Order: sequence, then C-alpha cells, then structure tokens
Amino acid sequence: MIRRLVAVCALASSAFVVRGAAAAGPVSAASGGRHALVGTFKLQPGACFGGFVTGTYFRMIFPNGSVAKGEFFQNPDSTCPNKTFTLAVPGLQGGLVTGRYQPDPTPAFNAKGGALADGIVRPQGFTAIDFSIATNRTDPQTGLRVPPPSVSVANGKLSGQVEAWSAAWNKLHFNQGSPKPNGSHPGLTAPITGTYNAKTRAFVLTWTSQVVGGPFNGFTGYWHLAGVFVPAK
Amino acid sequence: MSRPGDDSGGGTPARRWALVVVALLGVALVVMPFAFDMFGKTPKGAVMIAGFKPYMTEARLNGYQAELRQIDAGVRQTETTVAPVLTGGGGSSNFADRYPDFASFDHQWPAIDVKMTGLMNEVQGNLGNYLAVAALPSFRLFPWFFVLPGVLIAGCAVGALVRLSRWQRFRWVLVALGIGLIAAPGIFQMFQRAPDGGHMMTAFKDIETVTNVEQIQGYFGSMAVGQGAIRLEIVPALERTGLSRAEIAARFPAVATLDADWVHILNDMTPMIGAMSDNVANYQAIASLPPFPLFPWFFVLPGALVVGLVFAGGLSRKSVLAPAPEQPVALGPLPARQGAL
Repeated sequence: MIRRLVAVCALASSAFVVRGAAAAGPVSAASGGRHALVGTFKLQPGACFGGFVTGTYFRMIFPNGSVAKGEFFQNPDSTCPNKTFTLAVPGLQGGLVTGRYQPDPTPAFNAKGGALADGIVRPQGFTAIDFSIATNRTDPQTGLRVPPPSVSVANGKLSGQVEAWSAAWNKLHFNQGSPKPNGSHPGLTAPITGTYNAKTRAFVLTWTSQVVGGPFNGFTGYWHLAGVFVPAK
Repeated sequence: MSRPGDDSGGGTPARRWALVVVALLGVALVVMPFAFDMFGKTPKGAVMIAGFKPYMTEARLNGYQAELRQIDAGVRQTETTVAPVLTGGGGSSNFADRYPDFASFDHQWPAIDVKMTGLMNEVQGNLGNYLAVAALPSFRLFPWFFVLPGVLIAGCAVGALVRLSRWQRFRWVLVALGIGLIAAPGIFQMFQRAPDGGHMMTAFKDIETVTNVEQIQGYFGSMAVGQGAIRLEIVPALERTGLSRAEIAARFPAVATLDADWVHILNDMTPMIGAMSDNVANYQAIASLPPFPLFPWFFVLPGALVVGLVFAGGLSRKSVLAPAPEQPVALGPLPARQGAL
C-alpha cells in the first residue's frame, strides 16, 4: 500500500515537472544541427510498478557481467521488490545541471560514512550506508580535472559527457562518469545515450561506467536518468 | 707500443683482467635494474606496502577477526533462536520461505566464513613479515642501490684501465664500494627481512589475484543481502511480535550486535577490500622480480668479487707499478714516472 502511494506520488510529481518544464524557454546554442542542452535535467523520481521500473534509478553489475543479463548487485535498502534497482529521488537542485559543477559538500560524509551531497539526488541507502552523487571540478577518486557535464541533442538523440559524475559512499568516492576522467571507456563503460522530446522536453539519459579501483573495482554502474529538461535562464 | 711518458694501459695482465671484470660487474649492476624492469616494478611495491599500511596492525586485524565472529554469531542466532520465534516452531523451511534473502545468505555463510577467516589468518600470520619488508628502505630506491654503485665501480675500473696511474687512486675507492655492497644488506638487515618478505609474497600469492578479489567482492554482496534481511525484515518482524528493541537485544544479543555494528563493519572492511583490489597489479609486478631472499646476495656477491678482484689486481704501490715479467711492454706501457723511482 505504501509502495503504491509512493509510486502515485512519484508519477504525480513527474507529471508536474513535465508541465512546468514545457512552459520554459527554448534550448541553447546550436552547432551543425546539434544543440547543447544547458540547464537542469530535472529528474523524475524512480518508481517500481510490479516488474516495471520508471524514472531515475541505478543498478550495479558484478564484474564479468553484462547490462543485459547482470549479475546485478542487490541493494537491501532498495524500495523496489527487485532490489537490484536503487531508485533515485531528485535532490535540492532538481537533478543534473549541465555547464557547471554540483560539487560534494564539505565534509562530504557523515560520521557513519553516509554521503551528504543532495544537489542532484537525495542520499539513498545502499547496504545501510547512504550514497549520493556530485560533479566536482577535480574528480575525488582519480584526482584528475574534469569538465562540467555537457549534453547535446540532434534529431531527438542525446549525447555528451558526464566525466565528473561521482558517487560517494562509505567515505569513498567512485567515479561513475562516461567517459572516465582520462577519456577512456574501460570495460562496460559506454557513452551516454538517450532521447529528447523537443516539445515536452522529456528526456531519458542512460550510460554505464565501470568502477576502476577500490572495493568495487570491476563493477559497472548502469545509470538511467529520466525527467524533463529545463533550460538555464 | 709503449712510449716514454705514456701512463695509459692496465698494468699487468692479471690487473687488466681484473679491471675488465670489475668494470663488467659495474655494468652488470647498472644493467640489472633495467633487465628486471625494477624502475617500473619497485615503485608498485612501494605503493603496495603503503596501501596495506593502515590495515596491517595487530589491532586492526584482530578487529576483522572479531567482526567475522560477530557476523557468524548473528547468523547462527538468527538460524537457531530467532527462526523458531518467528515461525512459531514452524521449522527451518518455513523460515526460509518467509525470509529467502536470509536463507540464501545462511546457506552461503559457512563457505564465506571459512574463506574469510582463513584469509584473515593468513594475513595476520604475515603481519611480522609485512612489517619487516615495510622497515626496509623504500622500494622506489632499490634500483638506485644497484645503479649508483654500478656506475661508480664501472667508472673507477675503466678509469684505471685507461690510465694506470689512476689505479692507485681508484683501487681504494673500489675496495670501499665493494665493502659497501657487502655491508649494505647487513646494515638494512636484509638477510632477515628479505626472507620474511619472501614468505609474505608466497602467502599473498593466492590472496592478491583478480579471482580471489572478485570472490570476496561477491561475498560482500552476499553479506550485504544477508545483513539487510536481518536489519530490514527479521528485526522488524521480531518487533511486530511485541518485542521492544531492548528485549530483542536481551534475548538475541548476537543479532542485535550484528545489526548495530553492521555500518562499522562496512566502514572497516570495505577499504580493506579496496586495498586488496587496488594492489593486485602491484603485487604481480613485485612477484615477477627475482625472489626476495636472493636480493641480499645481489649486493654481497658483486661486492665480494670487486674486493677480491682489486686484491687480485694488486693493492701495493709496488705491485701496481711493477711490470709483469713475462710481457712487460706488449700488454701496456708503464707509467711515465716509473723511471723516477
């Protein structure tokens, strides 16, 4: 019952976001039919309906697995019946902002190792410890300078880079960008792809990023962001 | 042909032979780090030693063992004491049906426990060996311990070969370098520490592999699921039977302890798994070097040879300057100042 309520609320809020965004102004600079989308990719909260999952979520694939078949890591804190999906709730800034950073706060973690960043998404429980997302000028795992996220659209197809996308959990940072901060695409790391409806500004943005180093070395994060794009004023 | 005043040449055949060998030894010392790719590999050893440093203490390793015992006690108590309460004596299959995530973990736990406890025993058993290796000079310096003496030895030997008069100056430098090479392993206690390092490398052979790390990562996933079932399903189910948190802690202390300490266990264990994972390549690099116990001899033997060859070449001024009776001229001119003596 509670899950149904959550799902209904999630749908209602995403519908609200869609209507709000549709009223916003046009998209930014164009280059050869490709338009840079500079603004906020307002996230639709993740929600589960039976076997279906919508909105924004994350999955983690075990080493030697695949996007199609897994094996996927089970997050006991997931609110989905299928606990391999970790649902996201939009953060205080509504979602992913392109063209600038949404850095980790200082400190980035609480005493228990839970991540405190709450701009892109709200911290979510992951095996009892909160994880969250930030985009920093210097990637905290690799120490490399990375550009702010950028996404562009051509013929309704999205592309770009999210090198700075960094997950924080248990006092550790895991770069989850694509490409990785050195420009590479190791393992299952795949460029961002997605769709964009110019009328409604609804988007779906997905990518995979292999963890390089640390306790989850070789795991791959699958990121599914959905919602509505709101251009910067 | 010798000319008056020409002090080039290596003196007696024995000395020239000795100097050539000493020069070759110096070159060998210079070449060895490149031949074994020490400049590429030993920094990785330094990274590995530093990477494990936070975890390689008696207190920390005892903590891991205690955490494994905590998990084991929590799992056992859930299986044996909690299950009958939640099923009303309905049996283990009933419990497994109601809590499949825990049941799955419970099934896997004995193997995980054996493996993880064995691994921790192995690591803890090598704490002394690790500390011995960590007490050696930085691995980054190792190639230079060969290159620098090698350059000096080869330089002195070649210098003496080119100009005999330099023999008097260089012979003692060569003796000092040789003695330095002989003494270095003793000074750094390499004869004790290098075999200890060898034992550690052998023990870590089955630990620092991609397969092993991936297996432990998998265990981590299983433990997270099992603990999640206790934390999010079983303890709330106990609460629904009317038990308060305090009563649960009193009746099922191992379960309550595991539930309360899980975040601490994660805080503690996860970085260790990270260190293991991050150092697989570093370990492999060091493991591909010659065995640790041989390293002291890589200093002692060249050092002893250098000293021996210098003595063989003649240490005294007289022996240095005296021409070899059998081939006084053909093998090298005498120093110009010989005539003055």
